[in-house]
Amino acid sequence: MTIALERPAEGGNKTRTPVKPVRFRRVLLSETTKFRTIRSTWICLALGLVLLGLFGSIGAFTYDGAGVTDGPPGISGRPLDAVSLALMGLSFASLVVGVFGVLSTAGEYSTGTIRSTLAAVPKRLPVLWAKAILAGGAVFAISAVGVFAAFLIGSVGLDGEAISLSFTDDGVLRALFGAALYLGLVAVFGVALGALLRSPAGGIAALVSILLILPGLAMLLPDSWYDALNPYFPSNAGGAVYALTETSDRLSPGAGIAVFAGWVAVTLAAAAFRLKKTDV
Amino acid sequence: MIEARELTKRYGDKTVVDRLSFTVKPGEVTGFLGPNGAGKSTTMRMVLGLDAPTAGTVTVNGRAYAGHGAPLHEIGALLEAKSVHPGRSAVGHLTALAQTHGIARKRVDEVIELAGLGSVAHKRVGAFSLGMGQRLGIAAALLGDPEVVMLDEPVNGLDPEGVLWIRNLLADLAAEGRAVLLSSHLMSETAQIADHLVIIGRGRLLADTTVADFVRESGAGAVKVASDEAAKLQALLAGPDVAVTASNETELLVSGLDARAIGQVALRHGVPLHELTPLGASLEEAFMDLTTDELEYRSAPADGRSAR
Repeated sequence: MTIALERPAEGGNKTRTPVKPVRFRRVLLSETTKFRTIRSTWICLALGLVLLGLFGSIGAFTYDGAGVTDGPPGISGRPLDAVSLALMGLSFASLVVGVFGVLSTAGEYSTGTIRSTLAAVPKRLPVLWAKAILAGGAVFAISAVGVFAAFLIGSVGLDGEAISLSFTDDGVLRALFGAALYLGLVAVFGVALGALLRSPAGGIAALVSILLILPGLAMLLPDSWYDALNPYFPSNAGGAVYALTETSDRLSPGAGIAVFAGWVAVTLAAAAFRLKKTDV
Repeated sequence: MIEARELTKRYGDKTVVDRLSFTVKPGEVTGFLGPNGAGKSTTMRMVLGLDAPTAGTVTVNGRAYAGHGAPLHEIGALLEAKSVHPGRSAVGHLTALAQTHGIARKRVDEVIELAGLGSVAHKRVGAFSLGMGQRLGIAAALLGDPEVVMLDEPVNGLDPEGVLWIRNLLADLAAEGRAVLLSSHLMSETAQIADHLVIIGRGRLLADTTVADFVRESGAGAVKVASDEAAKLQALLAGPDVAVTASNETELLVSGLDARAIGQVALRHGVPLHELTPLGASLEEAFMDLTTDELEYRSAPADGRSAR
């Protein structure tokens, strides 16, 4: 080991800027800064929060027990409960948080930022993991706040109605936390789709198709196939975790979230493969 | 130091970089020249590991780029002018990059000042002019205090003051012992900044030489001299490798001697000069002669006949 000699002052005493090796925690910090410093992050998260809180509360306050004896047409004929009212905004919110996830990765390609990013982190994969953790974590936290707020505010509106529930009732906490977990995973799904397709438009189209259109298209399948496959579609499997009651045409909450997490994991693995193997 | 050995990149059956070997040495500015589409940018992306070579290798300071623990400390690069999210500020962009390497916030402010972006540091990059975008890219390249600096067409979009700034900056960086690689499609401009030249066309190496050698071999680098005593000066300059032609009674065109040598001769003999101009245009012609056969995008003459 030789001792580094200070070069005599030619343009002032030049000491080199201290630089540390790239580590996962530093990539995580860097990605946090990236999320923090673009407006779409705040817009998407705020919109997700508002959709969950507002739609959920409005659903409860406009609920009229007398009008739904024949079963509400919207919620596939299932009996309405306080939890599903509190989750009225969930479909919309899932699109918003999914788009948030897509933009966090696909946006890097459409703007060219990816070249700066991967020049700084040439191992590449830590960037994807960091984005998945941050997007999933942030959306889970925001969603938990949103659905609990909707349920609490909603319980005031439903006071005295037959369907009124409290946190201590069976399945309520599980369904509410499940909804937040589902939305967090949808954000990770978006991150993976954006990284896989490298285009915001493509990523968003894929997200909407898979979550919303695929289950509808599946109706074209023969009945026996449909019955067998339907519970395993991403949004249906995920839906099992935030439904208050278990039914025979759905997976159990645990199995449902596991299947949805499986879809997300497979997509993320494909995204990781493409990120690692192909030119940018 | 950048070392490329037999570097090759093919997209399908199109070879963009073809067995390219060159070295970028510390302490000098290497100009990387070639017409548009010659493969300069692709080569630079391979240096950073953004594109994988089809064959061959390229190393930075002796290692593949991805093998470095702190790559921004080894090489800083400006690729496309705007590889930045338009919604982010310069500070936000540079801070995010700095954090991957544990670089202090103080350094971010330093490079922003260095690039002259102090007044717009917190503005959205989307509102930046092309020149400001280039300055931000250069700030990012210098962030990690790298031993090698690689800039793809850095003077694009810069005003004359910016061009001068780049020229001085690169000379300083090389004087500090760093290796500097600078791509351009303009010979005359590069010859003013670079010490060494790597010239490519259609991905192939056409010349790997010093600027001085290229100038001498191309027969370019003539110097225009104007003096009231032109005839006297013509006699004084005459020598075995020197050609002097008089365009009129006060103007000479000298090749084989540089402006410095001519000035010294004139001073020694008390001949007053009122113009001493190295001519860049013929340098550009020599470059075009070298690369004409290798042009990827050749423009047809306006009358529709073929160029050669």
